Amino acid sequence: MSDRNNSSTSSDWCDSQCWSFLGFRLFLAFRWFFAGLDKFELDGSYSFANYYVNMDRMATGIAGSSILPLWSTKVFALPSGYLMLLLSLTLLLGIKIRLSLIVSLFLYLGLTVGMMAVNENSGIAWLAIHLLISVMALQMVKSAKWVLWKD
Amino acid sequence: MKNVLANSVDRRSFLKSGLAGGAGLMLSNSLPHFAVGQGSKMNDLNVALIGTGAQGQVLIQACSNIPGLNFVAACDIWDKYNLRRGVGILRSQKHQTKPYTDFRELLEKEQDIDAVIVATPDFWHAPITNEALRAGKHVYCEKMMSNTHEGAVSMVKTAAETGKLLQIGHQRRSNPRYLYVKENLLDAHKLCGRITNINGQWNRAVSEDLGVPRRTEIDDETLKKWGYKSMHQFRNWRWFKGLGGGPISDLGAHQIDIYSWFLGANPKAVTASGGVDYYTSHEWHDNVMAIYEYDTASGPVRAFYQVLTTTSAGGGYFEYFMGTEGAIKMSENPKYTTVFREARAPDWGSLVSQGLIKRKGEEEVRPWEKPKNTAVDVRETAALDAYEVPVALDKYIHQPHLENFFNTIRGEETLNCPGHEALQTEAAVLKVNEAIDAQRRLTFSPDDFHA
Repeated sequence: MSDRNNSSTSSDWCDSQCWSFLGFRLFLAFRWFFAGLDKFELDGSYSFANYYVNMDRMATGIAGSSILPLWSTKVFALPSGYLMLLLSLTLLLGIKIRLSLIVSLFLYLGLTVGMMAVNENSGIAWLAIHLLISVMALQMVKSAKWVLWKD
Repeated sequence: MKNVLANSVDRRSFLKSGLAGGAGLMLSNSLPHFAVGQGSKMNDLNVALIGTGAQGQVLIQACSNIPGLNFVAACDIWDKYNLRRGVGILRSQKHQTKPYTDFRELLEKEQDIDAVIVATPDFWHAPITNEALRAGKHVYCEKMMSNTHEGAVSMVKTAAETGKLLQIGHQRRSNPRYLYVKENLLDAHKLCGRITNINGQWNRAVSEDLGVPRRTEIDDETLKKWGYKSMHQFRNWRWFKGLGGGPISDLGAHQIDIYSWFLGANPKAVTASGGVDYYTSHEWHDNVMAIYEYDTASGPVRAFYQVLTTTSAGGGYFEYFMGTEGAIKMSENPKYTTVFREARAPDWGSLVSQGLIKRKGEEEVRPWEKPKNTAVDVRETAALDAYEVPVALDKYIHQPHLENFFNTIRGEETLNCPGHEALQTEAAVLKVNEAIDAQRRLTFSPDDFHA
């Protein structure tokens, strides 16, 4: 009887779903951090100039290989690296986590659409995994603990 | 039944029979044959296969998708096994094939044959080919042309005397990927820059000698008549002097043929090492390493070739042409085929955009992807960019070469490997065994390459 009470106390503090959500949240936070940081790298060095070279290449490459107009790929690409870093920060610190996850979801969706436009099946599958993780995290967002600014 | 009718209306038998009155009925019977798209009967060829062993069966398979062929006869001295299997396969493909155990009897009785395919052990190639050519048949003969230089020369001379076609089975010469690389990448665009070196090999694991299925042995008298001392020697003729040329001719000939073909030159010298290092029941060298020296129009080329039959390690089989601006690794197996660009070479971007070559899958940087970091140690040459050849063979590997032979008979193409060209490879390959025995560098005479 006393064991069950102890167990109940532990679950109340952070149950299985709470830990699962934390796993998803940290995964997405670090994933966004390194994906965003990568956008500033070129030939081993990091700079803002590199960021614009990389994102311009991404935008023109996608537009050149698909029916998407260049203006649309530029509108998506140019802010996305900064957005990735911002999302990593908000998810890690727990700032408006639900809103962050919704933005994550749509950012992954946007990236996936780009891959669909150039018929890059492996890229679609790869991003779809991240999309699913974002969806599952969003489903569990009520279990969030350790947040600085609640939704 | 359809095949019998089809055979009965080919142009030759129609003209010979002169049965014009019956022609209407016969032609009407053949109409479904035309309708199923098996080719015009006017172009049908009567073919005989001499040698229905393993290689003969490979060629039967390669011919199975070539329309307009009638395999009217097949011959093999091993009637209880090879002949039975070969004829069985041909008949299952609706050919009305008559079996023979003596090629001379076949050539004498089958007057309507247009072409003969020879897939016997090497030492029978020259005698059979010469007799078939003199009997007025076009001949497709497996490589090696012969186990002796004299035998090969006699084949070229007989073909010239009779005016009949002689195609040698270096099938890579009709492989669209090889043709594409030679014509487009090497000749037209000189993708390798100046070729300075070649490295080629065919490495195979240890294998047991071939045995004999029970109750199928050939009697001693027949074996002796056809030049074999025993059933073991008959089954494993490739390893015996006087019958074949050993692995350097069985395997190496295919690839050394590509060396000369791609370079457009014959070797001027060869140094070689080899021996019976492992097997106890063989006469020919099981491992051979050779170095050829070529003088090409662009400058000297040194070419290494090895054939190992005691290990499959080392990356399979390929011919690797290395030049100042790039390298092309060719193989009959597409997975080994790769084109490499030296860092110092002019940009190949336009070749990629033209579709002449394409970037190798795992190395590919899509237009929207960030280029990979290529920084290397200052003492190290940057890794070569890898590209693919955008041409694949979607047929049996011998099929295009056989198609080329039959289409040449029909006057639609020219031979991709006529006897006089194959003779040059024959000379280059046979010299390796001589160099091993001589234990020194041997030079070629221009006469070695011509009949």
